[in-house]
Amino acid sequence: MDEHTRALFEGLQNGKLSRRQFVQRLTALGFAGSTISLFLAACGGSESAPTSAVAQPTVKLATSNLIPTPAPIATQPPPAATVAAPATNVSASGAPSAPAASAATTASASASAANDAGILKSPDPNPKRGGTVTFAFGVTSAAGYDIQQGAAVSVLCHLYNNLIRLNLVDGLKTIVPDVAQKWDMAPDGLTYTFTLRSGVQFHDGSPLSSADVVATYNRMIFPPMGIVSLLKDRFPFVAKIEAVDPLAVKFTLSQPSGIFLLLLSQMEMAIYSKKTLDANNNDLRKVLVAPGTGPFMFKSYKESEVWTFVKNPNYWNKDLPYVDALQFIHVPAWSDRGTAVLTGQADLSWNVSKETWDEGVKRPDTIKTNRIANFGAYQVYINTKVKPFDDPRVRRAMNLALNKQGLITAYGTQEQIEVTRWVPHGGEFATPPDKLTTLPGYRADKTQDIADAKKLLADAGFPNGIPGVELLAAAGPQAEVLAPAIQDQLKRSLNIDVKIRVEERSLLIVDEKAGKFTLVLDTSSDPIADFSPLGNIYFKTGASQNFGGYSNPKFDDLMKQSDSEIDRTKRRALLDQIQDLLDQDPPWLFLGFTDHLPMWRTYVKGTALEKRAFQEWGRLETVWLDK
Amino acid sequence: MQRYLMRRLVTAVPTIFGITVLIFVAMRVLPGDPIAMISSEGQGQYILSPQELADARASLGLDKPLPQQYASWMSDVAHGNLGHSFWNKEPISATVSRRGMISLEIAVLAAIFSWFIGIPAGILSATRRNSWLDNIVRLFMTLGLAIPSFWIGLSAVLFLVLVFTWRPPLTIVQLWEDPAKNLQMVIGPALAIGIGLAATLARMTRSATLEVMHEDYVRTARAKGLGERLVVSRHVLRNALLPVVTTSGAAIGGLIGGAVATETAFGVPGLGNYLVQALNQRDWMVIQNLVLIYGLVFVVVNLLVDLSYAWIDPRIRY
Repeated sequence: MDEHTRALFEGLQNGKLSRRQFVQRLTALGFAGSTISLFLAACGGSESAPTSAVAQPTVKLATSNLIPTPAPIATQPPPAATVAAPATNVSASGAPSAPAASAATTASASASAANDAGILKSPDPNPKRGGTVTFAFGVTSAAGYDIQQGAAVSVLCHLYNNLIRLNLVDGLKTIVPDVAQKWDMAPDGLTYTFTLRSGVQFHDGSPLSSADVVATYNRMIFPPMGIVSLLKDRFPFVAKIEAVDPLAVKFTLSQPSGIFLLLLSQMEMAIYSKKTLDANNNDLRKVLVAPGTGPFMFKSYKESEVWTFVKNPNYWNKDLPYVDALQFIHVPAWSDRGTAVLTGQADLSWNVSKETWDEGVKRPDTIKTNRIANFGAYQVYINTKVKPFDDPRVRRAMNLALNKQGLITAYGTQEQIEVTRWVPHGGEFATPPDKLTTLPGYRADKTQDIADAKKLLADAGFPNGIPGVELLAAAGPQAEVLAPAIQDQLKRSLNIDVKIRVEERSLLIVDEKAGKFTLVLDTSSDPIADFSPLGNIYFKTGASQNFGGYSNPKFDDLMKQSDSEIDRTKRRALLDQIQDLLDQDPPWLFLGFTDHLPMWRTYVKGTALEKRAFQEWGRLETVWLDK
Repeated sequence: MQRYLMRRLVTAVPTIFGITVLIFVAMRVLPGDPIAMISSEGQGQYILSPQELADARASLGLDKPLPQQYASWMSDVAHGNLGHSFWNKEPISATVSRRGMISLEIAVLAAIFSWFIGIPAGILSATRRNSWLDNIVRLFMTLGLAIPSFWIGLSAVLFLVLVFTWRPPLTIVQLWEDPAKNLQMVIGPALAIGIGLAATLARMTRSATLEVMHEDYVRTARAKGLGERLVVSRHVLRNALLPVVTTSGAAIGGLIGGAVATETAFGVPGLGNYLVQALNQRDWMVIQNLVLIYGLVFVVVNLLVDLSYAWIDPRIRY
């Protein structure tokens, strides 16, 4: 938000501006009427209705984040006075500022169910009921059927609920309740108490209680012997999970976390019943399918072919789902997913090949498309223990010299990479594109960057380039397209002589873990729209996937501060410092985060896919078919 | 004949044994850890600890000594149990039978197409040697050999999608469930493969026919006053068929094993796709069993081809 707009909001809030003046000035600044209405709604009810004491912090949260497009994580936290359950900003930090959160949750206690932000309904008007929605993507369930042990979460999530979730209806821009009707965060940010909805039933008829939530999250975060939890490392700050009463669960944290709520809102956080977990010794990999409380129930599965789910008639959100069934067909190839949607064999695919997506764009009468930020990324790991790459100047020089725009164009037929900095581009704290394009190393004009890079290299003792550098790459497009492009650019700009060694994908990890590399072209992924997991997994000293041995004490310290900072303004400042530091002392040759290309038939409604801040291959219970 | 059959079956045993040992050893010698693939290690946020790796290996029986693993596999196979994929819990035999039917249909249909196109074309080309017809047939033979079937497949799918907004079904529909939809699924790959195979058969038929046409018995048949059609159908064709049958047999054996590229081009979930997926995932159990099945298919098809020689050529006796 620019200074003028922020001043207007502050003026309205402190009474210096009337609502009429506020509207007039926003109109003059070029804001659309609908946006202004949204702002006004977020700033409180009618002009004459005073904003309650508990609502004010939420208003502040709203105004500081109601960023006009293209801000990807703009939030829509409704005024506390009118909304039951809290809608929390999804901000990359994930957690709202303490007063805002507590205000929102306090407000929720007195609200009616009709105003419950977690009772989702179609964002498109007049939803129709009935029909089957067919999805096309890779729906095989690796390693069994346990969501928290690696199963096909994009499919199975429809059978379950979380405590909280990203708001499907507003394009994942806020966090709203799921089976937790409300939550309270202590002012110190060290405890979160979630109050469950009453009357929620598992598909086998048993009621949901706090014991189920405690059993689920204890297994996930403190896995018992023999259980491999792929998710436990995301919650190093959770100290204890306990039931307060049959409908309340308390999470105690060892330190405040800026991303706790965002992590809990991911689709993997599905709640299983304690009864099922106990009956299977906590291992659900062979259980097809453990009962959930979700909007759909399991009907059938043909391995590597098709899943079929049917509507849950006892779903706690009585209005949902609108469709009778969901079908997920296994289509491994992106191009086949695209042609499946183009020809009507499927109604929706989360990510299709560029050429079929382009074809879809040409058919607006039948096909809808979007390009959505994703958290996968391409990078070259640098072994910082190998000379001369232990010198930050060499790594910075390589980052400066790399023409990212050119690499991205070269790889465009394979995957859509964006020029981004280190914070995921779908997240609130990402560097805005207009600023990014002016930064050294990210701007399109490489003249100055290459000159600076040559100077850095000369200062590091390599005025004539570096001979004999090996770049390891996985067989396939990465080795055939991307690696040669990097090789060519480094040679031309800095006279760094790169030799490519192609290796089977499954072997890359072996060499990476053993540190047997100088440079490795690889991909990474971040589970949420925040930098924290990425930094903690890949860059922190001694981190599990810090294969290159990168170590910067200042970075470690900033990460620690950032992770425990729940004030978003302060967190933004810390993340800006982290990004600046990584630009100066880069652990990787970073190419950028990727986008996904979802495509769907025009009659598929109720998904808000066209306004998503970032991609989530998640639950779509508000979907309906307009045919 | 029975003794010949028995002898062939007995000699097949060491062949199959050799295949099983080779594939079993190859899977364990070649680099790539299935556990790492299953856990998406390195491509996500997770690295398995040594203990977790050991536990995961034990759960798949990979912690046992290699001879014990091999013996366990062979024992299961002997009892008709192909085991389970490392990646999912469905029995491999169930997946193979469902997908195998699709691959079998494609293979048989492709062979039939190739016979209907390739054999008449080869005969025509030979009997009208150096005519304009021969030249046209030879041109198409060259094209059929030069153009890979997966390219034909990709082009066909592209054409169908762009022009007719239609593509073959992506989910398995068996012949007995919905014959029309099943045909839509298999006809494309069968035609794409059949064209290439027809070109091979046409060349084979042409050269065999040309060779046979100069044999004494053909000259004798003509001298007896038989019409050219009768000479070709009764005396030339039957004798020229031996190499054609051999080629078709080998091709069918290979196709049942999966026309990988063509299946992929059409998005058909057959055995070829299954094998590629298993290779990418280092799913040793699936790979071992599929290779064993392919070996068995080749042995059986080769045997049938050899037996058919006696039926085609009465001079051959076992």
